This record gives sequence, C-alpha cells and structure tokens, in this order.
Amino acid sequence: MLSKTPLAPLVTLFSRSNLLNKRLARSLWRTKLRLSAVVFMVAVGVFAGISFGAYANAATNLYDDIYDGEGGVNLPDIWINNPSGVWDANESSNLCDSISQNWPDSEYELKTCEQRLVVDGIMFYSDSGSEETAIPAIWHGIDEGLVDKVWMPEDSDLSSGELASSFDEIVLDSHIAIDLDVQLGDEVEISSGSDRMMYTVVGIGFHSQHLFYAQEGMSLPADDGTFATGYMTASGLERLTNFSEGSSNLILIDIQGTPSYDLQSTDDVDEGKELNFVIDELSELMSLETDVPVSVYDRSGVQSVEFLRADAEGAVKIFPYVTGMIAAIAGITIFLSLQRLIQSQAREIAVLRTLGVPKLSIMPGYIIAPVVIGGIGSLIGVLLGVYFGAPSMLGLYEKMIGLPISSDVDNSLITQVVLISMVIVLLAGLRPAWQASRLQPLAVFRGQHEVKLSSRRLQRFTASLPTTVGLSIRSSLRKPMRVGFTFFAVGISMLLFGSMLFMLESMEDSFIGGIKDRQSWEVQASNSPGGEDAIVEWVEENGGQYELLINFPIGLEDDNREITAFGLDNISTVSDGGSMIMVDLMEGDIPVRDSATMQVLIDEGTSVFLEWDTGDVVPIYVGNMQYEVEISGITKGEISRTIYLYREDLSQMVGIESTSVLIQLSDDDKSLDGLAELSVGYTKKADAINTFETLLEQQKQFFYAIESLGVIIAVAVLFNTLLMNLAERDTELATLRVLGAPMNKLGKMMFWEHLGIGVIGGVLGAVFAYFGTVLLASSMVQWAFYFTISPAPSAIITIAGVVIGISVALTPFGMWRIKKMNLVDKVKDLSN
Amino acid sequence: MPIIDIQGMERHYEMASEVVKALDGVSITVEKGERIVLLGPSGSGKTTLLNCVAALDSPTKGTYDFDGKTVPRLKSEEMTTFRRENIGYVFQFFNLLQDLTVLENLLLIQELSGGRDKKRALELLKLVGLEDEIDRFPAEISGGQQQRVAIARSLAKSPKLLLGDELTGNLDSNTSSMVMEVLVKACETEEITTIMVTHDEKLTKYATRVIRLDSGKIISDEPTGN
Repeated sequence: MLSKTPLAPLVTLFSRSNLLNKRLARSLWRTKLRLSAVVFMVAVGVFAGISFGAYANAATNLYDDIYDGEGGVNLPDIWINNPSGVWDANESSNLCDSISQNWPDSEYELKTCEQRLVVDGIMFYSDSGSEETAIPAIWHGIDEGLVDKVWMPEDSDLSSGELASSFDEIVLDSHIAIDLDVQLGDEVEISSGSDRMMYTVVGIGFHSQHLFYAQEGMSLPADDGTFATGYMTASGLERLTNFSEGSSNLILIDIQGTPSYDLQSTDDVDEGKELNFVIDELSELMSLETDVPVSVYDRSGVQSVEFLRADAEGAVKIFPYVTGMIAAIAGITIFLSLQRLIQSQAREIAVLRTLGVPKLSIMPGYIIAPVVIGGIGSLIGVLLGVYFGAPSMLGLYEKMIGLPISSDVDNSLITQVVLISMVIVLLAGLRPAWQASRLQPLAVFRGQHEVKLSSRRLQRFTASLPTTVGLSIRSSLRKPMRVGFTFFAVGISMLLFGSMLFMLESMEDSFIGGIKDRQSWEVQASNSPGGEDAIVEWVEENGGQYELLINFPIGLEDDNREITAFGLDNISTVSDGGSMIMVDLMEGDIPVRDSATMQVLIDEGTSVFLEWDTGDVVPIYVGNMQYEVEISGITKGEISRTIYLYREDLSQMVGIESTSVLIQLSDDDKSLDGLAELSVGYTKKADAINTFETLLEQQKQFFYAIESLGVIIAVAVLFNTLLMNLAERDTELATLRVLGAPMNKLGKMMFWEHLGIGVIGGVLGAVFAYFGTVLLASSMVQWAFYFTISPAPSAIITIAGVVIGISVALTPFGMWRIKKMNLVDKVKDLSN
Repeated sequence: MPIIDIQGMERHYEMASEVVKALDGVSITVEKGERIVLLGPSGSGKTTLLNCVAALDSPTKGTYDFDGKTVPRLKSEEMTTFRRENIGYVFQFFNLLQDLTVLENLLLIQELSGGRDKKRALELLKLVGLEDEIDRFPAEISGGQQQRVAIARSLAKSPKLLLGDELTGNLDSNTSSMVMEVLVKACETEEITTIMVTHDEKLTKYATRVIRLDSGKIISDEPTGN
C-alpha cells in the first residue's frame, strides 16, 4: 500500500539505508561522551523552555483570571485618586453623580462609579511577649462592592473566611496573615493617625492593588511581616480614621466590557486611545468639580497591576529566547559533532560511494541522527521540565509573589518547546548531511578533503614565537568555523551566566545602593495633610532632626503615565551632602531656587522614555493644572520615574506642606514611642534595606540556578570542541609521542592552547554577555521599572575567568587521553 | 660493544581464543653504523620487533640492552625518554604537522626534546636537499619531499638509531630510490644506525645486513656486503 503513496520514495530510501544508518548509529555510539554532551544540551534547552514557559503562562493567565474572570475582583477601568486629602460624603456622592451625568461622549458606557476610602496606617504586632512592632499598613474601606472586590478564591489554601460585615471586623491580606501566622478569629490592633483599635479577623484574602505585595512606590515585594494591608467595611475604616460617614479619597469607575488601555511598554502604540479620551474628559471634569488636585488613571497607573503585567509580559518575551538560545547551542554542538563524525568517516563514505552507494542513501542517516539525538534530549528535557523544572519554578514564583499558582503544564507549551528544539537540531544536521553525501571518493583517498593549507599570514604572525606556541595558536585556529561557532555558543552560555551577574550587580546597586548610600534618614513618618507639625514636635522633643518631604503624582501632557515628584527641602548630591535624600547626578546641575522657570531634576528613565534632556523646558501637570519646568539635570539609580523639585515649589502646586517627615533620630534615643499615634504610618530605613536584601537573597537562588545552567552549558560546549580538537590531532600527538615528546611538554602545549581558547572565549563571552544583557535589559525596562546595566569589572572578570577556568581545566583530561593512547596501535595507523 | 643486544625476545598478544606469539625468541646484536633491512610477510613480526626496539612496545620475555643499558619497559614516560634520547622514527605516511612549515617541523621536535637548534635543522634540510623549501607547508611539497623532511625531522635531535616502517611504501619507485639515497647519505654523515621494515626487496641494496622473519622467528640474518 505504501508504495502507492507519495511518501513511497522516502520510505524506500530510508529502508534501503537501514544498514548504513545502523553503521552510523554504531559510530555515534563510539563517541558516547560527546554524544551525551549533545543530548544534554537539547535536554537542557527543552527543560529550560518548559520551566520558563510554565512560569510565563502562569503569570499571564493568573492575572486575567483574577481581574476579570468569574469569581475575580472586577478590576476598575479608571481610578480617580485624591492624594492630598479626603472628600466628605456629600462631595463624594456629588462627584459620582457628576461623572454619571457628564459621562464623555465615547464608545464606552459607564457601568459603575464607587467611592472608596484608602488610608495609610499601622498594624501593631507582638509575638508572645516580644517587643511590639509597628508595621506600615494600608487600610481599605470596602463594603461588598461591585468593583475591585476583595479576592478570596475558594479553592486556595491561601485564603479563607468571609468579607467584613461589621465595623469591628477586618479581612487581612493573605501575605501578612501568613507572615505573622494570623488566624481567623484573631484580633489585630491597628491605627491610622489616631487611636489604636482592635479588629477581629474574619477573613484572609487578596486585593488587586496588593497582589504585588509592596509598599507604595517600592519596586520590590515587602519582606515578610514588614507591610500589612487590610480590608474592612467603610464604616469600620471611618471609625478608625475618625472621618465622617461616606468620606472617600478614591473613585473607582467600571466601564461596560473591558476597554483596552495604553500599555506602558509600547511607546509607539496607543492601545487605549478611546479610554484616554475618557480619562482626559474626566480630568477636566474633576478640575471643575473639586478644588484639590486629583489623578485620573487607568490600569497602567496602578503599581501592582502594572508590575505584574510587566512581569508576565517579560516572562512571555524571555522564554522563547532562553529556549531558542539553548536550543541554538545544542544545534551548534550537533552541527560540529556531525561534521567531525563525517570527517572521521570520510574514508568509509568514500568506499561506499566507490562501491556505488548513491548520494541519497548516505544522507538520511545524517539527518536521522540529529532527529534521534534531539528526540532523546527532548524526552529527557520534557520529563525533567514537567516533573521538576516547572513545579520548582512555579513554587518559587508562588513563594515570591504569595499568590495561588496552578502548577499544571500546558500540553501546547510542551509541543511548542519541543518543536522549537527539534526544528533547530534538524536544521543543524542538514548541512553536515549534505556535506557527507557530496564527498568525492578520489579526493578522500588522496587525503585532499582534510589537507587544508595553513594560513601564511598566521604563519608569519607566529613565526617568531617558539614552535610549540606557534603550533598551539595555529592548531586552535585551524578550523575557524568550529572555533567561531564554539565562541558563539560559549558567548550565548555566558549570556545566561553573565546576564544574571550583571543584573545582580546592577540591581544591588540600584535597589540597595540607592537607599543605603544616598538616603540618610532613619525613619520616614507619613502624615495626613497638616499632620506634620505634631511629628516635627515629636522629633524636636526627642532630640532628632527632620526634613519635610512631599511625594506626589505628577501628570504629563497627552500621556496617561505619571511621575512621582519628590519635594525636598534641599536637593544635593552625595558628595555635597546636606540632605536626607540625595541624588546621583548623571548630567547637568542641581536646580537653582527661585529661577525664572522652576528648575527640576528628572531621573534617567524619565529622560529616556520622554526624551527629555537637560535644558529642556517641559510641561508637567498637578491634577489639571499645567506648570512649565526647566530640567537642570538628570539623575541615575531610580527604579521608578522620579522628578525632584524644591519642596516649597511643589507645596505651592499641590497645596500641602508635606506627605511625610524624614527623621534622623538622636544618638541617645532611638525609641519610636508615640510616633505611631502621631503619624499615619512609618517606615524604618533598616527595614527597607532588609526587605531589599532578603528579596535579593531569594532572587539570588534563582539567579544562581541560571548561572549554573550557563556554566554547565559552557562546560559541555568547550568540552565538545576541545575533545574534537584533540581527537582530530590524534595522529599529530601520536607522532610526537613516538618521536619522544615528553608528556609534560605536550601538557604545556595543550595548556597554552586551552588558555588561548579560554582567554579569547572569555573575553568574547564577557563582551557578548555585557551587550546581550544590555539588550535584554533594554527590552525588559518599562516606565514602571527602569534600570541600566553597568559593565561591572568584577562581573567581567568572573565571566572571563569562568571560561578560562573551564578551558584550562580540560587540559588534564586531554593529557589523560594522550597518556592512554595506545602507541603501538597508532603506529599501525601511521604506517599502514 | 653492540648498540643493540636483544636476546630471546618474545612478544605475546592475548586474543579472544588464543595467545599469539608475534615474536618468538628473537635474538639480534647490531653494531653501530649498521643499516639493517627487516623483511618478511605480513604477520611475520617485523613491525612488532621494530616497536619493541623503539620502546613503543614492551616484550613479554627476553632481554634488550641498548648501548650497554637495559631498555625500560612498561613504564610509559621512561620509554618516552629512551625514545627521545636515542630513537628517530620515519613513518610510511610521513606524518608531518600540516600547520608547521618544513623548518618548523624540525624545530618543534628539537623544542620538545630539549632545545631549539636552528642551525642544525637547516644543515639537516640541506643534507636531504630541501634547503629551498624550508618555508613551505607540507601540503605544498611532493610526497618524496615530505618523506625527506620526515627523515630530517627524525635526525633533528641526533638519535643513535633511526627506525623506518615501510618508509617508502607510499612512494613510487623513483622517489623511493631518491629517498633511500638521501637516507643512506644522512645516516652515514651522522653515523646513525638504521633499521628499516619493508616488503620491498629492492631496498636491500641500501642495507648492510638483511634479516628475514617469519612467524615471529628470524629465519635468516645475512650481511649484504654493502
């Protein structure tokens, strides 16, 4: 039957070459060590692809389900935030009425308008008699609500209980409940700028604004037990804050359907044109309806939502690259191995061709070989990925993010990853297969296929060196394609290794260096509008020093994104000192007070994304009010988009004196007694640093895993190539041994050769890793998360050192190989 | 004192079903300056004998003294040192290093054996008639020239004994003659003892003595009168 199908010629061809394929399989089996390195590479590629892909899929699907799925939170489409005060019940109600009546003429219809009260505060916690800890907190007043509800998934161990229904009940966020081991029925003591009160925990759940569990403005999740959020009834929060019934500072707007919004990661595309029109109209409306500056923004303006979206987007972007890179290395090793195999089998192939075996019968084996190798590697990779990589990756992700993550691995993901790998390995086998079928028997028998005239230029270049050194250099460069591919593959593996090193260095510098070296405050106490006086009095009574700070969201012209403004009493660099928050000035000058046009500093990320430069005069918005400011300089090291102004300037714009007080405590008295009751929450710098350090420690485990992967791949690649180099030189080395060359001299020769390859590979690896990481980082950075990669010398030295180390470490193996060479057999080869 | 004194040498190979005696009680003494051709059919043991003489292989039984000293056996590095200090070896397929020029092929062996002596290397290349080819790569010269380079290379470290295994086996008869003439001239000039394994009866005219082997035993050992 088959003979009548279109596949018949292929079937005939493959079955005719069965014995040839068997011969090839046996030949491959003789190179078990190299073969296993190739299978390993494929397996690692598939393993990594499935692990990263499972993470990317989980990250993407999770948030969609939480935000808009059945049983989800019904995430609002527009937020209207009053950062400088609170509207009373009447104002709040009027605002929603006004929004409803004056809803912009657009394709979107208003579905719901809800007011909320969200305040900073403190959660007091002491564990069995230990000293009380004041944990910075955010409290939400949420009745059951229609929009942005508390999320309490029924099928998860991480949530339980029910919504708060009484003024003295609270739902604690799962993150803090787990950190502090708070159970349903426990009582917690909390405050928000006034008296402490007790609330009964009736539920444990999540909130859309705190899925990425970080303090406001922080780019990293909070360390265990250092940040709390809770969701009580509106009356429950009014009781805590002493605000009148119906007070609010946040309006949530839900639109029919799910409108597209402008993604911060796509500068050139405005996906939310229509929504932006609605936002602009509402901003205009708000400026007419209320005296205070307000921010109107879509999902991209909500830190947690944007971070998690960016995280998912980053994962989706990166996983095909990681899989592709490792598969490409596997492809290169397969390609080189097959070429070497063909070279060593040239005589056999020539004999077969002389005996009349057609070209097409030679080819299939060399195509089947990579497919079989790829198949075995893929199978191992799938098993490892599904049963080990993906669960570990998702477990780590669940631990870091604190959200319930499904550990199922999608079949389509497995198919996709295996297909990528198999296509690459198949392509890698095509050229060698074609080369094998094209070998000319006569040329092979005359030895012309291997004799390649050495480069005269290289000979002249190395002529003055000792012959052993010259030989090492020439031998290393004898196969430029092999060496080139090897360096390329080592470069990719070093990209895996080095990107983690560079990123770790840069993140440590940005996250920890920023707060450790450039900020000298010890405690930052948040205040309600006008509440700074009480805190200042407390500082003066306790012999400390203070500076007032205003943090305020700043809007942009025709742009939905926001910048966080820092209003500082003094703006200074680290070398100048004199301020509790200092800047790292990259270019330009410190703003001059009382300039004709108000001068400001912007961070590097803002400069990059908005294409603003020193000397530019640009418009910024507070609420709906536009101000012209001149950029006097650009700072570096800020993860979030930041603009620095003098506090008196910002104060005039926003109408408040401060949002928090930066405090340096007296050397004699470091106690914070009484501060909790005066502030609406405070953060200790030491806690912030601890948070960063703990998180970096956690990240390091992940980074180390990737680094190890990079090193293992580099070992496999170099091992494969150096082994091929050695195998190819068996005749030369045997000749030298027969002629009496001592092992130590051959060892030295090999050492220099490996050192040379290591040095070139190491330098190229470091260069590759640096520029690759810069490229990778530039594709990852977004408005909400910007950082740069600096060529840290320690990272460069480590990368080069690793490649040199691996290369040189293979010398003993090479020597062992020569030592165990059977010279009697070799002499037969040399003379028969 | 003979340069080579072999008494009762045996070399056994253990195969799957039997023990093969490649050498079965060979005794030879060789005086300095002799040029010996070893003849015999395939499997007669001539290459095994050459390997044992070169200390590439260790005999199973018997004694082997070289220049009055016992030749090391079974110890790889001592055997290598022996070869380095005493033996030159020429192969059938030349086995020159393709990445090195003619001159560098000689210099490499000198470097690996102790010290570079460019003057001597150039003299040897002149001796084998290749003084004009010193900067060429092996692939750029003929097979006969390559074999002459191989001879010069084997002499580069001033061995006491030069061994050749089918060293003209890959050359046509005219080139073979030229190579052999060069070899004889070089060995006489350098006062080097020579043992060559060959199938080619014609090479006996370059020998001072012909030893025939069969089944691991010497069946004749005669001077040629040269």
